Amino acid sequence: MILIEIIFPMVLLILGIYHGLMQVLYRAGMIHRSKFLGLDYFQGLTLHGVVNAIVFTTFFAVAFGYVIVRYYLRRPLNMKVAWLSFGMMIVGTLLAAAAILSGKATVLYTFYPPLRAHPAFYIGVVLLVVGSWIAFFNWLPPYFAWKREHPGEKVPLAVVGIFAAFIVWLIATTPVAIEVIFLLIPWSMGWVATVNVPLARMLFWFFGHPLVYFWLLPAYVMYYTMLPKLAGGKLFSDFAGRLTFLWLVLYSAPVGIHHQFTEPGISSTWKFVHAFFTMLVAIPSFVTAFTLAASMENGGRAQGGRGLLGWWTKLPYIDKDRWLFSYLFSGLMIFIFGGASGVINASYNLDTVVHNTSWLPAHFHQTIAGPVFLAYIGMSLFLVATLTGKEIKFKALNVWAPYVWAVGIMIFSTGLFIGGAGGEPRRTNMGMSYTDPQSHLYHADWGYAKMLGSVGGTIMTIAALMFFIVFFATLFGKRKEQGALELIVSEPYHDERVPAVQSFTPWLAGAALLLVIAYAPPITQTIRSNFPGAPPYSQDNPRPIGSTRNP
Amino acid sequence: MNKLSATQLEKRIIWISLAFAVVLLGLSALAINLFHVGLPTCLTDIKPFQKGELIAHSPTQYELHYVARMWKFEPEDITVPAGSTVDIYLSAADVTHGLILLGTNLNLMAVPGVVNYARVKFDKPRVYHLLCHEFCGTGHDQMAAELHVVDMATFAAKPSPPPKAEPTHPGYKLLDANLCTTCHSLDGQPGIGPTFKGLYGRTEKLRDGSSVIVNDAFIREKILHPEAKIVAGRFEQEMPKTELAPEEIEEIVEYIQTLK
Repeated sequence: MILIEIIFPMVLLILGIYHGLMQVLYRAGMIHRSKFLGLDYFQGLTLHGVVNAIVFTTFFAVAFGYVIVRYYLRRPLNMKVAWLSFGMMIVGTLLAAAAILSGKATVLYTFYPPLRAHPAFYIGVVLLVVGSWIAFFNWLPPYFAWKREHPGEKVPLAVVGIFAAFIVWLIATTPVAIEVIFLLIPWSMGWVATVNVPLARMLFWFFGHPLVYFWLLPAYVMYYTMLPKLAGGKLFSDFAGRLTFLWLVLYSAPVGIHHQFTEPGISSTWKFVHAFFTMLVAIPSFVTAFTLAASMENGGRAQGGRGLLGWWTKLPYIDKDRWLFSYLFSGLMIFIFGGASGVINASYNLDTVVHNTSWLPAHFHQTIAGPVFLAYIGMSLFLVATLTGKEIKFKALNVWAPYVWAVGIMIFSTGLFIGGAGGEPRRTNMGMSYTDPQSHLYHADWGYAKMLGSVGGTIMTIAALMFFIVFFATLFGKRKEQGALELIVSEPYHDERVPAVQSFTPWLAGAALLLVIAYAPPITQTIRSNFPGAPPYSQDNPRPIGSTRNP
Repeated sequence: MNKLSATQLEKRIIWISLAFAVVLLGLSALAINLFHVGLPTCLTDIKPFQKGELIAHSPTQYELHYVARMWKFEPEDITVPAGSTVDIYLSAADVTHGLILLGTNLNLMAVPGVVNYARVKFDKPRVYHLLCHEFCGTGHDQMAAELHVVDMATFAAKPSPPPKAEPTHPGYKLLDANLCTTCHSLDGQPGIGPTFKGLYGRTEKLRDGSSVIVNDAFIREKILHPEAKIVAGRFEQEMPKTELAPEEIEEIVEYIQTLK
């Protein structure tokens, strides 16, 4: 089942990456059309977002969670519940994909009302999310049983990380489930006429920001528990890992309004509160940067590196046997820029320069399509090879793929950063207007940035192809040995025992308190303000759905 | 580097990152108070306005009501003198839109049900472009407008022309009320669909390669059964169906005939 949960989204990912490539070509003005091969630009963009950012990540996180729980806790799981979760996630994904491919859910992955998707899209999303919750609930009995049998022992760091990821996921998906089940599905089915748009948007972003930490935390688990060992050293501080994971449980959610800085209907006081909390959520990233650098230094020195920078030369950058290092390391390098641009987006005043420009996709591609994506595909390949007992094929291709991806994404996002700082809009088929010399809306000065974007996007596609060749060649290759569940496990260098990070309870209580502080007043304002509701619209008609004429 | 100094460094980096966060917040607060770089905070219960207009309170003080709708801003083209302070109010008539005024810090979301607000001071003469930066449907890529800032002397000599008188033909009223003019222009401007100007009697190429003469029968069929014959164009977009009475369609045909 773990294997299918890795392979199924991988197949979808091919589709998702194809649509990523199409985006950069459309936007660069190489395609001056609204459709290509029967799929509309925005339909492709919806697929790209939903498949790459929601489906692939959720499936991987669940599969990785099973691996961690089985490997570290070494207890049987209730397989009936596991299959139920699996079935819901597959059915949900297929429902949503059918709605998007038939053109009835061109709403992008943020599905902001009053653009309405077919109910199958919303129901599919709910099934996928609830299916992943069930997987998590299934890990709780083994966790508590392990704790009973090991009184006074520290829970393995990887388990803390993956549980933190799913706690963040529960916090995140509860508001979006409320949005979809109570606001959007009744409205999409036609049971209620209008929807409170500001409320729906606030619930969406209550989900939208912790979501990114749900993506990031499984990658952090790999960084803290595998990267030091791959580098030939030890994890610099076990405490730093636990603190980072728990800090993200605490601060990942009360920050969502930083996505809504330029919106009406939310008072600027609450915008500032969320900006403040967002700065606090940057702290675990600094801790991580330091700890990982120190762990790699430890590895470099253990292998004979000398002097201030000598250890840099001893790291296994292109070691074919420790190839996972190249995936994790290149992701980490991209993340430096992704993190720095994130601080800019979230700072109260600077956001008005970059909000909804292509600066934003540049930032989130350097985060989710950098460290998260590379860690996820690297670990997917690792798990497929070890679980089936197969040897990695095309080892040189494999070790270079992440570096090619990193070069591609740096060029791509440089283009998008430059364009975005100049006001180039995101989510726009610019080939139809701003990058079309025939159009009266043509903007000559955006051409250069778009050229960088499409060159980078093409290099990323080549890197993805390299990876897919390795992945499927390995998967369909001959079995070398009996497959087994093996993981790379780093030992801690400093194995501190700080009581504050040994239990989830105080952090959960803190998170609940912060959520009430940060969200109760603005949500109450949004509900009590009595904003006029909005009827549903489709993307291709300026009249509401169901109205065949205006009076 | 020994392990002791690395541990000290670890403590140092925690303090540096905390200090960094505090400095950023301080700068942010400074920018709000000194440079008035704030964020919109408008909270209203009033029903948002549906008509875009520029209201002059004094020669240098204006109130600008922008309506963002699929797929244009109203008003589309306005002129104010340099040195003006403009209070910009923004509402959304249908779905969510965005507004970015290129070359300034003005960046607002237009959310259905709520009015957004920001104040901008225009010091120098210049042509500003504004465009929609949130996905709002098929014509999103075409949703843009202009704002002209001219020097006071030019502005005083040639005040902005009075708004064009709307045609009174009942056919026009039907086209306007049913939002047909969103995609079909009256003055020859290219749009998502073909312009109405000079359309009547013209031969149009269809997507399947055949061609058709635009006459009464074709226009009637196009309104009632838009999926039957699709005119070839860059936007592979199907026209929405509109249920009009036969006499209403006749008025529309009559009006389109006048647009030569």
